[in-house]
Amino acid sequence: MDIDLSTTDVRTTNAALRALPAGTTARLVNPAGKHNLAVGLTEPITVEIDGTAGYYAGGLGKNATVLVRGTAGWGAGENLMSGLVQVDGDASQSLAASAHGGTIVVRGDASLRAGISLKGATVLVGGDVGDHCGFMAQAGTILIGGDAGRGLGDSLYEAVIYVAGKIKDLGADARIEDLTAEDVELIADLAKRHGFDHIDPENVKRVASAKQLYHWGSP
Amino acid sequence: MCGITAIQVRDAALRPKLGELITAMLGQVADRGPDSAGIMIYPEKRVLKGVGHPTTLATEWRLHEISGTQAIAHTRMATESAITAAHCHPFVVGDALSLVHNGSFANHHTIRRELTAQGVEFDSDNDSEVAARFLAYRMAQGDDLEKAIRLLCERFDGFYTLAIQTPQAFAVVRDIIACKPAIIAETPGWVAMASEYRALAVLPGIESARVYEPEPEEVYLWTLT
Repeated sequence: MDIDLSTTDVRTTNAALRALPAGTTARLVNPAGKHNLAVGLTEPITVEIDGTAGYYAGGLGKNATVLVRGTAGWGAGENLMSGLVQVDGDASQSLAASAHGGTIVVRGDASLRAGISLKGATVLVGGDVGDHCGFMAQAGTILIGGDAGRGLGDSLYEAVIYVAGKIKDLGADARIEDLTAEDVELIADLAKRHGFDHIDPENVKRVASAKQLYHWGSP
Repeated sequence: MCGITAIQVRDAALRPKLGELITAMLGQVADRGPDSAGIMIYPEKRVLKGVGHPTTLATEWRLHEISGTQAIAHTRMATESAITAAHCHPFVVGDALSLVHNGSFANHHTIRRELTAQGVEFDSDNDSEVAARFLAYRMAQGDDLEKAIRLLCERFDGFYTLAIQTPQAFAVVRDIIACKPAIIAETPGWVAMASEYRALAVLPGIESARVYEPEPEEVYLWTLT
């Protein structure tokens, strides 16, 4: 099924997508940066966005696969519950904000605050990320194939960030830790599964919380 | 929330279509600021401001008929000071310098007092006007536009994505944490910025444009030749 966004509004489009049975595929053409495309999907369907998506592409979804064949605006995959949101180009700010589960993949670069307040999802960025990636991320994994900007992992909780390239600087309470065998296995698996051949799993920095800002139980 | 959009047309063949281009761009950021709007056109130095939906205003102004080299527009959702034409951006000051702002400044009263003490006069109580007056004041003191903008980043506290035009130049800058959105597109024929990509998607040749987000506190400046 093709839906032309130059003639169909976003609300009607999303209602049509939510009515699709499991296993079907839909393509959204002429997205022209429209917001909220393919949000709130619940069935295991595949939606291909043929161009540039606006804000919150594929956000709030579970089970679905949303493929952006261009760049994505602010908050792609925001609050994702499960499934996959993949962006072939670059992603704007607050990629995968508060995402609880599933996988968000960006083949290009991601802007500031990627993975902010992450709550369990897996975020992969092939290129670079901007400042404050992983800010206050509570759970989940962020793998960066390129470089990270300033304030990486500021105020991290239990989420872990892996960086293959350079780190401009770490945020408050973030520290670089030794890679474990489990880390290498996880990175190798993620890189292989998503075709990130440029990442050498053994040559990645692990960034996690130094746990000076928050405490479990009694301080 | 507010909407910003601006363009500098390098290709002389496109200049008669400036009005058409900025009308389409304005329509795409109308949702971000539906209460009022304003625009400055170069080289005519024509300022249009009004209260109402930006698309309705553009029609009233017959904006699509205008030609020129540059335009800078703003759609406002007021969070600070009243909804009147006088509070609409762009704030046009000094030697036809125009500024549009998405965000809010925290220390604008202090800077206003300092500028007032230096003899600078204000048209409104709007925080964004202080930024425009600051730039004009620095340029009157001999700074070039780029240096004046760098000083603004040092002096002003708050959230801002700013677009600035003078008869010969177009500049964009964002605060240190890039709190408000901004995106730039460049082709040999034009350079444009907007709060959102959809306002750039209406431009001819966008498919092959270089599209990128301005980095925090980096000054982007293009001069008309």
